[in-house]
Amino acid sequence: MNAQNLSAVTTTITVPTPELAWIPLLPLAAFIIILLFGRRAARLSAWLSVAALASSGMVVLAIAGGVFRGARLILSWPWLSLADPRWSLGLSVDGLSWLMLFIVTVIGTMIQLYSIGYMHEDPRFSRFFAYLSLFCASMLGLVLADHFVLLYACWELVGLCSYLLISFWFEKPAAAAAGRKAFLTTRVGDTGLFVGILLLAWTAGELRLSELGTIRTFLAPQLGLLTAISLLIFLGAVGKSAQVPLHVWLPDAMEGPTPVSALIHAATMVAAGVYLVARTLPLFTAESLQVVLAVGLVTHLAAGTVALTMTDIKRVLAYSTVSQLGLMMTALGLGAMSAAIFHLYTHAFFKALLFLGAGSVIHATRQQDLGQLGGLRRAMPWTAAVFFIGALAMGGAAPLSGFWSKDAILLAARQANPLLLWLLLSGAVMTTSYIFRLYFLCFEGQTHHAGGHPHESPRIMVGPLMVLAVGAAAAGFAGSPFLQNRFFHLLGDAHAHEGIDLPMLLWSSAALLAGVGLAWVVGVTRRNLLPEALRPLGHTLYVWASNKYYVDEAYDRAIIQPFLRLTGRLDRFDQTVVDGAVNGAAAAGWQVSQWKAWIDQHLVDRAVNGVAQTVRGLGAVLRGVQTGIVQQYLLVLVVSVVLLSVAIHR
Amino acid sequence: MPVHALLLLSNALFCLGVFGMLTRRNAIGLLLALELILNAAALNFVLYSRVFGAVHAQAFALFIIALAACEAVVGLAIILSLSRSAKTILADDVNLLKG
Repeated sequence: MNAQNLSAVTTTITVPTPELAWIPLLPLAAFIIILLFGRRAARLSAWLSVAALASSGMVVLAIAGGVFRGARLILSWPWLSLADPRWSLGLSVDGLSWLMLFIVTVIGTMIQLYSIGYMHEDPRFSRFFAYLSLFCASMLGLVLADHFVLLYACWELVGLCSYLLISFWFEKPAAAAAGRKAFLTTRVGDTGLFVGILLLAWTAGELRLSELGTIRTFLAPQLGLLTAISLLIFLGAVGKSAQVPLHVWLPDAMEGPTPVSALIHAATMVAAGVYLVARTLPLFTAESLQVVLAVGLVTHLAAGTVALTMTDIKRVLAYSTVSQLGLMMTALGLGAMSAAIFHLYTHAFFKALLFLGAGSVIHATRQQDLGQLGGLRRAMPWTAAVFFIGALAMGGAAPLSGFWSKDAILLAARQANPLLLWLLLSGAVMTTSYIFRLYFLCFEGQTHHAGGHPHESPRIMVGPLMVLAVGAAAAGFAGSPFLQNRFFHLLGDAHAHEGIDLPMLLWSSAALLAGVGLAWVVGVTRRNLLPEALRPLGHTLYVWASNKYYVDEAYDRAIIQPFLRLTGRLDRFDQTVVDGAVNGAAAAGWQVSQWKAWIDQHLVDRAVNGVAQTVRGLGAVLRGVQTGIVQQYLLVLVVSVVLLSVAIHR
Repeated sequence: MPVHALLLLSNALFCLGVFGMLTRRNAIGLLLALELILNAAALNFVLYSRVFGAVHAQAFALFIIALAACEAVVGLAIILSLSRSAKTILADDVNLLKG
């Protein structure tokens, strides 16, 4: 206990670390270089991108020592005002952000390596790597940011990159639409986050993430305000992490290249939401945690059922990600931040592995429909093996990574509410069930030859798969009693359970076996296990789930169609009323000017001309008098004088 | 004092001057006729100063003599330059400014 207290004290130590700037700047530099010169050397730009991210990873490893000793590494620079330290932007690394940095750099490097093989025929090869670099750079910046403003900037950059990458094959209308949908849907959440930050700046005036505890105590008397702020921040996370009701973009994001899906699902985009909630957890009140819990649980279970019914290999994985993110949010809602981040960490490994494995299948067969796949284990033994490891890890098989993280969440649930434990266990059955259904349908059974002759993927794709498989298998040990729960201590959670909880081990293993059994019996042999009476209900539920609970349709009907109708009406309003007013004003002006022209021509001009003619006529008359002969003038003068004098004498 | 006769003389002088002004074409002739008119006026002033015993009226006669001298100077100068540039001294040949 003494050692733990000591570590709690040492977390306050801050160490200025200028190296931190390198972590996001290296991929950013790679992005700029590739953008400027990438066209000439496509292959080189890919390796540059990989090297930049790997170097960032090296920096992350180099600073690990300080972080593990419990120090907070910082790098800050003043912004807006030199005097007020509240407005100094900065980077900061503690256990949580270090873990995120580790995930992003390791997974990101693997995915980029894999992409070299996957994208090698693409005409926009170098641009793809430029985007990947920017994506990783902005995610690293987001994780490093010690200020809400900086975090928000990176948050938006992540959104932008996801848009660029999801609609990377923008020639496909579906891909372009998916990118747009992702951008607009997450934008709804981003607006919430933005308003939350503004509210925080307005009320607390402090936006540094390292001062969250201070903010909490400052705002503690105004619980309602704190709830509102935390819920607005959570709205941002809901959009980014694809929670119900803003989850609709993530399955559509499958239109992008598979490595992008892997990156979005494992390391960057959706992890940002979970990270944000974990980071700002001090701000969450009991009420807002209830909301987080409810949203997470609904997402976990609903997305799990949808994943059971999907027939597209990538869509199954997409809904599984939504479901797993729901699980993480559930853990966050329980206040079990370390368990949630632990699951994020293990999930990053096995989900990247599963996605890249799926990408390998798609690359080999040009086929994504589960009905057209099967028996690939013989053609692609390595892919099948690593996929199997990934599926086991996801299902939570005993020593693999998923087991440890899922157990941590289940334990937290058991402490909170037994009912919650049962719900999560049923979710675990579903998880295992859909992932093994995917595995069985893809790699076992009869071989279809719809996709030509499948072949094992090139070494540059299989290599990263191997690394990720090792990670998916072994990453969980970091949070296991075998390594003294190092993971939880790093996150400052000193109260992590010691030793293996045996009942929990049995329960989760039972869930695993039940899931695998269900996957085989229902998913592959397609036997209906339900009793006769329940079959219509089961069928209805299946139809609902396979139609994704009609969420897209509901949005279409409730938001998009009314919006389009509104725009249609506004268009008509514009065409008739506004245009009519403008045209009417123009016509009236034209008419008035006609009248004015008439007046001008007939009255004004005539008056002016009349004056001129009068003057000219008068001049013509007077010119006759003006002969220029002096004698004449004199004669007139004399005659007039004579006449005048005669008149006077009269 | 033959006032009547002297008045007739000055009137005759004036009429002669006016007649000269109306009939002469030569600019020098015009000037001469003008002198006659002026002298007729001067004669009248002197005459009436004697009749009414107002001595200061004779000052006008002196004024008129000075004025006539000035007028002759300016007029002759104009006629001289006219004869140089227009090669004529006939008044009605100088009609450049006529509209």
